[in-house]
Amino acid sequence: MEVVAERKRTSVVGKNVRKVDGVVLVCGRPKFTLDVDLPGTLVGKILHSPHAHAEIVSIDTSKAEALPGVACILHHGNVERIPYTTAGQGWPEPSPYDSFLFDRKVRFVGDRVAAVAAESEEVAEEALRLIRVEYKVLPAVFSPEEALADGAPVIHDEEDATGIHDAQHNIAAAVDIPVGDIERGFSESDVVVEATCEIPYSQHTPIEPHCTVAYFDEEGRLVIRTSTQVPFHVRRIVARALGLPMERIRVIKPRIGGGFGTKQEIVLEDVAAALALRTGRPVVMVYTREEEFVCARTRHPMRVRVKLGAKKDGTLHAIEMEATSNTGAYGAHALTVLSNVGSKTLPLYNKAPHLHFHGKAVYTNLPVAGAYRGYGATQGYFALEVAMDELAERLGMDPIELRLKNHIRAGETSPIFEKIGEGREGKPMVVRSCALEECLKVGAERIGWYEKRSRRRREGRWAYGVGMACAMQGSGITGIDMGAATILMNEDGSFRLLVGATDLGTGSDTILAQIAAEVLGVPVERIVVYSSDTDLTPFDVGAYASSTTYVSGTAVLKAAEEVRRQILEVAAGMLEEPPEDLELSGEQVVSKKTGKSVSLSEVGHQATYVVDQHQIAATASFVPPESPPPFTAFFCEVAVDTETGVVRVQRFVAAADCGVPIHPKLAEGQLEGAIVQGIGHALTEELLFSDKGRCLNANLFDYKIPSSLDVPHIEVVLVKSEEPTGPFGAKSIAEVGINGPLPAISNAIYHAVGVRLKRAPFTPERVLAALHRDG
Amino acid sequence: MKIYFELNGEQQYVDIEPGESLLSLLRRLGMKSVKQGCNTGDCGACTVLVDGRAVRSCITFAAKVRGRRVTTLEGLGSPGDLHPLQEAFLEAGAVQCGFCTPGMILTAYELLSKNDNPTPEEVRAAISGNLCRCTGYRKIVDAILLAAKWKREGRWR
Amino acid sequence: MRLRGIKRFHYARDVEEALSLLSAYQGRAALLAGGVDLARAARGDLEGLIDITGMGLSYVREEGGGLRIGATTTLTGILENKAAQGYLGGFFCEVLRQVAAPPLRNMATLGGAVVSAHPWADIPTALVALGAEVRWSDEKGEHRASVEELWQGQFRKIFRNAVLTEIRLPAWEGAFAFEKLSRSACDIALLNCACGLGIEDGKIAWARVAVGATPRRGRRLTWLEDFLVGNQPGEGLWREVRDRVEAQVEVSSDRRASGAWRKAVVGPLVARTLKRAAEKMGDA
Ligand SMILES: Cc1cc2nc3c(=O)[nH]c(=O)nc-3n(C[C@H](O)[C@H](O)[C@H](O)COP(=O)(O)OP(=O)(O)OC[C@H]3O[C@@H](n4cnc5c(N)ncnc54)[C@H](O)[C@@H]3O)c2cc1C
Ligand code: FES
Ligand code: FES
Repeated sequence: MEVVAERKRTSVVGKNVRKVDGVVLVCGRPKFTLDVDLPGTLVGKILHSPHAHAEIVSIDTSKAEALPGVACILHHGNVERIPYTTAGQGWPEPSPYDSFLFDRKVRFVGDRVAAVAAESEEVAEEALRLIRVEYKVLPAVFSPEEALADGAPVIHDEEDATGIHDAQHNIAAAVDIPVGDIERGFSESDVVVEATCEIPYSQHTPIEPHCTVAYFDEEGRLVIRTSTQVPFHVRRIVARALGLPMERIRVIKPRIGGGFGTKQEIVLEDVAAALALRTGRPVVMVYTREEEFVCARTRHPMRVRVKLGAKKDGTLHAIEMEATSNTGAYGAHALTVLSNVGSKTLPLYNKAPHLHFHGKAVYTNLPVAGAYRGYGATQGYFALEVAMDELAERLGMDPIELRLKNHIRAGETSPIFEKIGEGREGKPMVVRSCALEECLKVGAERIGWYEKRSRRRREGRWAYGVGMACAMQGSGITGIDMGAATILMNEDGSFRLLVGATDLGTGSDTILAQIAAEVLGVPVERIVVYSSDTDLTPFDVGAYASSTTYVSGTAVLKAAEEVRRQILEVAAGMLEEPPEDLELSGEQVVSKKTGKSVSLSEVGHQATYVVDQHQIAATASFVPPESPPPFTAFFCEVAVDTETGVVRVQRFVAAADCGVPIHPKLAEGQLEGAIVQGIGHALTEELLFSDKGRCLNANLFDYKIPSSLDVPHIEVVLVKSEEPTGPFGAKSIAEVGINGPLPAISNAIYHAVGVRLKRAPFTPERVLAALHRDG
Repeated sequence: MKIYFELNGEQQYVDIEPGESLLSLLRRLGMKSVKQGCNTGDCGACTVLVDGRAVRSCITFAAKVRGRRVTTLEGLGSPGDLHPLQEAFLEAGAVQCGFCTPGMILTAYELLSKNDNPTPEEVRAAISGNLCRCTGYRKIVDAILLAAKWKREGRWR
Repeated sequence: MRLRGIKRFHYARDVEEALSLLSAYQGRAALLAGGVDLARAARGDLEGLIDITGMGLSYVREEGGGLRIGATTTLTGILENKAAQGYLGGFFCEVLRQVAAPPLRNMATLGGAVVSAHPWADIPTALVALGAEVRWSDEKGEHRASVEELWQGQFRKIFRNAVLTEIRLPAWEGAFAFEKLSRSACDIALLNCACGLGIEDGKIAWARVAVGATPRRGRRLTWLEDFLVGNQPGEGLWREVRDRVEAQVEVSSDRRASGAWRKAVVGPLVARTLKRAAEKMGDA
């Protein structure tokens, strides 16, 4: 109770303080990766495979090397062959080691063949044109079905790859998690429904593409300044890929222009570092937008089949979920994304005793999938929530009622928490905070659910409908991922906060500073945040799995509490009172007993210069024993043009429980941004390929992400809950918002026109075809 | 070739390549607020003002600004002296990663120079070519409406 | 972006200079207006660029109810012009507001749109429906043609050695409407339609109908125009239009949309555009 009382009085947490990097960003200061100009920098460029599947018979670089201005050309013939994974995950990585700096084989159109470093971009590009490569073209497969068929070409036939589930059958990873007896579950159910939903290739499209500068410091150590979400994993993976001792590498993440998961992957750092090492000169590399689409990472295209069995009263009795995931040419995040399809969705409806989650992640000769906000849950919720909508209809029940009947509550658990972890078994966990009930209520009110649901509106060719969906996610990866923080006090009573955590635009530097400031009784301005530099900041796994606020935030909280203890100790000596009687607030240490006080700057001076001189500082680490889920209820209103199939999302309401929002505006921003990406998934986003596997729309002219005019009126409501294990009661918010739009929009279309859209995106073409077929 | 032009209020006499883009020139001159998101005119990250009009610097030839007035975000305000539009972006929480922000602010600047009382729809139309992948636009629209209000109240420059 | 191989950049002061520069380069130079297309689809063979935006060809003038628009006038320049705003109740501006986004409209010129004549674009469809006429100059002198004639001929070849100088939009006694279907709000068309109608004594006196992005460039449906004349506007007629268009208009697939979808929606699209034009007549 004491903790709660303290929380009520927060003076920095829960406030919309100014973003700590806000001023430099609105002024366009040179803070991004490419904003430094180092003298003598070479430009690195990659030669990509024109074939979907081929062996490299020979590479002739003599003409290219003869070109004035070419400094170096790397390919499989002149680099060491070391298997690794490009997926930036905790060690040991759950993704297969199936990638090489350069390989003898290419596995998709856009795969790496060689890299050039040259004096200018023009020369580098000219050199690429001059490299002669002879390929032996192999048969290729472009869908999991083809890849799984008997006699399909084996994509990873190299002997030195490890961690592949079944290379002979192109299966990168597989899961099979039974709970109870699924067949009995269905036979005991009164109603059974099934839905199969499919998500195509889509791409994160950060406005800043991947970019990296590799150079040497005064001592000849390699510095990689890079647009990444995972600086510490970059250091480890680059060290492995290049056979370099880790202490020779420093990775710095400056401001970065969005990531959403694609920068949880090492796609340029290894090449830039290799070119720098070979030439001894700085090398800059940046993906073109086309490369960003094809050669960075994508969401895992997936087909998910969900079968639900329920009792007449709506209680779920059995849930089967089968996922067929396309991981593309390499298995980055193949197993973990697949696992999350089930692990982040099934616990939401924990009433069903019989569960079966199974699936495969399959190699194909298409671009490489990876981490993408939502991380499998997005794919899972699309099918699950469409199936729930269908179930509600079959039961004659309101969709909200059905959710209320089945969703997990505080104090409850799900066997899935223990069964499925991150590439291995999970940990049992009780959900300690859940305000989904309230979210459903608030959301329904805001959208006018009951009234709009009861009548279908039709005006001429426009049909209107409302739909809803629910989702949860996690907050960090239980028992695996670590975040650490160091806080040092300066003699003037200000602080330095050093965190390995990675702010990719999310505002985490600000949130972490707020947490420290709250504990230390100072305004945020008195805390200088320095983050994401492997030489200077303590370890942190980086920004993924919705972990920063919860995991890194708890590390900051612990470090701050220890620093506070040290401050009180010094102050106790100065005030000659026991530390227990002292309180820290408003940049003062005040005695609760006598009212005497010293300022923080006096304490700082005392410790630094006067008596018992020492640095007031602490480092703390945190590995989450649990991963408390944030919950969200999504509601939307759509209009469907029945003549053309055009769908307009007119209104979107999301009510989210992220615990106590440390910075409400930033939390809202995460939710709004995620919802808009989800709307993109639902309406327009899809990479298209030729029958030879070449991407046809790798540009922003033909791959449409939502513009300001495509976005409906979005209302987000933060419904507070109090997560007892989170820093100041906080949970995560970054990902959960992307899980709702696909099913909510599909369900709203169904309400409007009576056809179910199960293949994203819901283009006019697909909607019209469905109307003609089923309408 | 050499051209004269005005950059953020200062005369420049610079060497350019005849086929060079304005984006390339401006970044060479240290205007790092000018971002490259696509280099094909599709994202808006490279937007700058030429004679007060927002243009895509990635598909504008540098030679075209001969004798003209170019404004980048650096010319609007600085950390110690923010322009009201920059204040409004901070105030409304319109900045996440900040990569789209320079282009967004300059596009908004042109809008407000022509219309200091835009409707939300007009704001959305004005920035429809500036892609932001982080925010979902809502807070950006709020920021521009807030700046418009300040402008009407005389808080502007 | 950096166009490779460009050796010189010229600022043409008048049409004559532009023409003589063009001929001096013998095909290795291009006229540069807004540059929106030129910079995006970089031709590898260019050595010279000739900026034509300083030749005094940026203007909009009203003439007898029609418009004369200088070839280098930007789309924004047209949108902000009073005469253009008044032309046909703002019809042409309505089309331009749906073209790209403001910073691109600040650059893109109407002349560039006519010379590029993208099949997926909206401006050609509108110009065809309006019966726009264009003027150009080459070494032999001045020429004129309707946009339809121009685009039916070898216009790309013409403009290798010619400067488009003016686009003329004729006066019409009636109303025009424009509709476009696209993937998102800020997108090129998957299909578009521009229609004009004159109504006298409750009957259609004249009609102009053009459909574009089929995926081919905008073309008139003269058979439909003929059919419409003499008929009474109304739901019955629009239904008839719908069916006839669906049966007769040729559409096909590209990677943006299938022929089957285009076929299914082209009828409703033309019908709704005509209906809106008729409604505008009613308003007037
Ligand atoms: C991202 C994007 C979105 C677009 N969206 C739309 C849309 O929604 N609807 C639509 O209708 N259009 C759209 N367009 C097309 C746009 O209208 C044209 O690209 C633009 O008008 C071209 O004008 P410009 O001045 O930039 O041409 P430039 O690039 O300068 O020139 C184009 C070509 O024409 C030649 N040329 C230019 N002017 C002349 C002249 N006076 N005489 C002879 N030759 C000349 C040039 O040499 C060049 O070959 C879009 C374009 C882009 C890039
Ligand atoms: S970089 Fe210029 S529009 Fe994208
Ligand atoms: S804030 Fe990141 S792209 Fe707009």
